[in-house]
Amino acid sequence: MNAFDGMITGFQVALSWEGILFVLIGVIVGTLIGMMPGLGPISAIAIMIPITYGMDPAPALVMMAGVYYGAVFGGSTSSILLNAPGISGTVATAFDGYPMAQQGKAGKALAIAAIASFFGGTVSVIMLMLLAPALSSVAISFGPPAYFALMLMGLTAISSLSEGSTIKAMIAAVAGVMVVTIGIDPQTGTQRFTFGNVNLFDGFDFLIIALGLFAIAEVCMLVLNRKNRSLSDDQKLGSLKVTRADLKEMSGPMTRQSFVGFILGVLPGAGATIASFISYIFEKRISKNPEEFGKGSIKGLAAPESSNNAATSGAFVPLLSLGIPGSGTTAVMLGAFLVLGVQPGPLLMTDRPEIFWGIIASMYLGNIFLLILNLPLIPYLAKILSIPRPLLISLVIMFSLIGVYSISFNVFDLYMLLVFGALGFAMRVFSFPAPPFILAFILGGMMEQAFRQSMTISNGNLAIFVNSPLPLSLILIALLSLVIPGLLKWRSRRKLANM
Amino acid sequence: MKKTMLTTILAASALVFAGCNSEESANESTGESGAFEPSKNIEMVAPAGAGGGWDTTAREVARVFGETGIIEKNMTVINKEGGGGAIAWAYIHGQDDSPYNLFVSSPPLMFVPLNGQSEYGHEDFTPLANMIADYGAFAVSADSEWEDLNDLFDQMKEDPESVTVVGTSSPGSMDHMQFVRIAKAAGVDPKKIKYVSDQDGGALTSVLNGSVDVFSTGVGEVVEQVRAGNIKVLGVTAEERMEGEILSDFPTAIEQGIDESFINWRGFFGPPNMDQAAVDYYEEKFKELSESEEFAEVRKKYGWNEMYLSSEEYEEFLNNEYKEIEVLLEEIGLGN
Repeated sequence: MNAFDGMITGFQVALSWEGILFVLIGVIVGTLIGMMPGLGPISAIAIMIPITYGMDPAPALVMMAGVYYGAVFGGSTSSILLNAPGISGTVATAFDGYPMAQQGKAGKALAIAAIASFFGGTVSVIMLMLLAPALSSVAISFGPPAYFALMLMGLTAISSLSEGSTIKAMIAAVAGVMVVTIGIDPQTGTQRFTFGNVNLFDGFDFLIIALGLFAIAEVCMLVLNRKNRSLSDDQKLGSLKVTRADLKEMSGPMTRQSFVGFILGVLPGAGATIASFISYIFEKRISKNPEEFGKGSIKGLAAPESSNNAATSGAFVPLLSLGIPGSGTTAVMLGAFLVLGVQPGPLLMTDRPEIFWGIIASMYLGNIFLLILNLPLIPYLAKILSIPRPLLISLVIMFSLIGVYSISFNVFDLYMLLVFGALGFAMRVFSFPAPPFILAFILGGMMEQAFRQSMTISNGNLAIFVNSPLPLSLILIALLSLVIPGLLKWRSRRKLANM
Repeated sequence: MKKTMLTTILAASALVFAGCNSEESANESTGESGAFEPSKNIEMVAPAGAGGGWDTTAREVARVFGETGIIEKNMTVINKEGGGGAIAWAYIHGQDDSPYNLFVSSPPLMFVPLNGQSEYGHEDFTPLANMIADYGAFAVSADSEWEDLNDLFDQMKEDPESVTVVGTSSPGSMDHMQFVRIAKAAGVDPKKIKYVSDQDGGALTSVLNGSVDVFSTGVGEVVEQVRAGNIKVLGVTAEERMEGEILSDFPTAIEQGIDESFINWRGFFGPPNMDQAAVDYYEEKFKELSESEEFAEVRKKYGWNEMYLSSEEYEEFLNNEYKEIEVLLEEIGLGN
């Protein structure tokens, strides 16, 4: 069956009344849990598994897929409005989304996020449809050495995430790497920096760090600067209108980062969070005005938003075509498939075409629903900002606490949230940037594991990183991206000197 | 007005008293007749996050208990994630003699404490019943030159550095130790086995692209890849051939002349000092569940094998397993 016949089968499933109904339920539930900091698609899907028991598998899976990409779609709302990322995939959204909201352009920021999400989601569904079978070979071509090189490439971007002092950015990044080593080391089973405390055995959940460094630290700043705030309601929401010029500005990043996000989503282990960071950095690197990033740049908002949604669809490539779950969420999805009597894997496309293509077709529909649902909601969502500040601050603290508690139901994590909140606040006061910390935390852990797996495999021979073309080329790209900006600067300076 | 309020308070306190009394009498009846009947909801802890094996087992068991009415009181599943189970175990240990706090567990209840990562192990809890057995599988890429376990182990004896094993758990835990156990029985030096852990979902990928050689995992994880012709299974840790399509094609280690097996058991426990009457009660209920048609369907759905053990049998089985694992861990230098 080729993609065209497949899609006809798929749309027969997606456009049946059941298909439409369950896509709708899925994306609504997804949007809602995405907006709540801490509540993520993993727990939502796990809770749905017993509910879907005995249901026809196609609509049930279509619904769960809807929850997944709906959550990534909805996760941007609290990132933009409150600087409290709804899910880990939308941390980078806050970098430029929150400054926009502070400048009184909350409505516009939400609209841009919705459009970029829709675009990223749709482009990647098209790629999923056309390339899923072909891309499955890409997904398995990455071994530990290639992952190490990929993470290294991501880490070289730290310098571009820094405002001002590069040294301070590096210190923040090193701190991030140090924090990620806390816990039981997967390669030896040894405890590192746990002080025998069982609560530290698993290390820190990413959301504790993200909510602490961003939401709680922001709350502290708001309390500190409470005098100079008196925006009127109109200013707070601002115009919803995305002008033609805005669209033109975001079209480049959206198109590029939909592809980048999709490819990174396909790789097991990478996923929406890493994709959104890499895309943000990518756009900043190639931008003519990188200084605008972090201050409410439309490009800086559109890039991670299209990328994280594209990565979400990308994550379905290894799941549907190989039966390999590349992330926690897709692992739970795999469980849901099994419960419903469907085995995802290389044979799914031929054995159960209605499910394979039905899920893909439903994503078109789901993305349209999400756009239609979210755009009219924006004025109401943005009203959050006109809540009196003391109340708003309490709400952010409450949602952050609930969010963290719902990850593990462990009170210890709440204290840690406050510790990272205090750290984030101190970093703000002494102008250490938080993004390099977060990036190093995400990439550093995977990079270390990949490095050590490679070392075990090669019996300690470093040549494993340059002996095969894939890791070698990634390392070369990483080196070039470090050297080229410096060279360009040097050349332009020399030109100036010669003039 | 005042009068009505007073009456209400009186009525309310009367109710409270009545409640106390009935509970007391329930307790007394436990003491006298030796029978236990739950008088409130039962909490079932899954010592991991939503979606994993423990969580699935707990939820399915709670669901079937409710739907069949085998246990009439509600059974609520809660997830206590962290430390590979250690946080949940510490919590249950604190419940002392409560007959309303159960949890599900499997071999990590031994591996985690043996690796020094939990204060409490199986001997600190009251085994109620084992329900399920699962087995390990050792898979290699479909184009590998090894045809059976002996090919693999021969190469490992000759050149141990040339073979890398990958699993999802950390060294000293299940995926690692099931391989060590079988390999040692085949004569491989257990200290020289190269094992890498991949907890980010890349283990199977690494076998498929040739980065590592052997995937040590559960049988359920490999069936579909075998069906698609991507990998082949050199051997499984079951004692006898398993039943089912594809599954019945997997040769056991035993039939390849390696006299060793490994069971990934899964069952239920209570707090340390649970009353014998309550133990008897749950043992009986789990037995009924295990024999029910509804639970047979659940086993079939997930590909689990039936393995009911009563409280006493379970304890003996666990103690034997523990000794074997302890010796093995010490031998490879990971013992605590």
